[in-house]
Amino acid sequence: MCHQTVGLVARHIEAGGIPTVIMGAAKDIVEHCGVPRFLFSDVPLGNSAGKPFDVESQRATLELALRVLETAPGPRTTVQSPLRWNDDALWKTDYNNLDNMTPEDLAERRKEFEAVKATIATKTDRK
Amino acid sequence: MTAAAAEHDTPIPYMQRTRDYYLKLGFGAYRWAHYADVPFTPLTRPLAQSRLALITTAAPYQPSLGDQGPGAKYNAAAKFYTVYSDSTASTPDLRISHVGYDRKHTKAEDPNTWFPLAALHEAVNAGRLGALAPRFYGSPTNRSQRVTLERDAPALLQLCREDGADVALIVPT
Repeated sequence: MCHQTVGLVARHIEAGGIPTVIMGAAKDIVEHCGVPRFLFSDVPLGNSAGKPFDVESQRATLELALRVLETAPGPRTTVQSPLRWNDDALWKTDYNNLDNMTPEDLAERRKEFEAVKATIATKTDRK
Repeated sequence: MTAAAAEHDTPIPYMQRTRDYYLKLGFGAYRWAHYADVPFTPLTRPLAQSRLALITTAAPYQPSLGDQGPGAKYNAAAKFYTVYSDSTASTPDLRISHVGYDRKHTKAEDPNTWFPLAALHEAVNAGRLGALAPRFYGSPTNRSQRVTLERDAPALLQLCREDGADVALIVPT
């Protein structure tokens, strides 16, 4: 949901007259929403701003985002960072992949999902 | 000669995976935000003379709300529901246990991977950027697009304006 939320936020701020750039890791969600400028890093969610304890990759990611901000010729500009998480890229086969889940995993996740929904409902009711 | 990439080595199709996953769990398909028209505002001055606002989806650490990591399980209690702001002059303790990041392959041990404040200060010191806005802003991540569009996004734009931001950098988790 994070990537969808920031897509909507970027669109609103841009329409309000302030140029925006998103630094993100979920390419399909951001592009499906449709945003002005997007630096895509093909890394696990949680690392949109660079690799952990790798200051050089964090610095390079910001610099690239700033260049996207400066040079985008129009809306829906996506630039993909050359950053690699690792060589085999097998992490991409794991995220929410049903092929890798047993029926027990699924039952557990269903239970967790219901618990999360209940927690959120209590919180939002109070507001 | 350059070696060809592996077949699986493409951006993860998150929408498809999520759709399949929730259908399998017995929940309906989610309709993702989707627009044909996209706004665009050109920059009016060089970045070296611009003030940048940073927007994050990370949450302020609240010790009373359970394990928030690094490496914590998904923690819905740590979610926040209204836009917040805090000073960019100090380093805040922000966590991401309330969102669905990749818990198998990353542990959220280094906040600089989702909150680039240190790198932004460097860019200002190097003259690459004019300045940072005095505050950064926190955006709630909401399943309801209506709430984001009608309440949170306008509040974030308002903060950008109050702080005289010329550009905004938005970093999801």
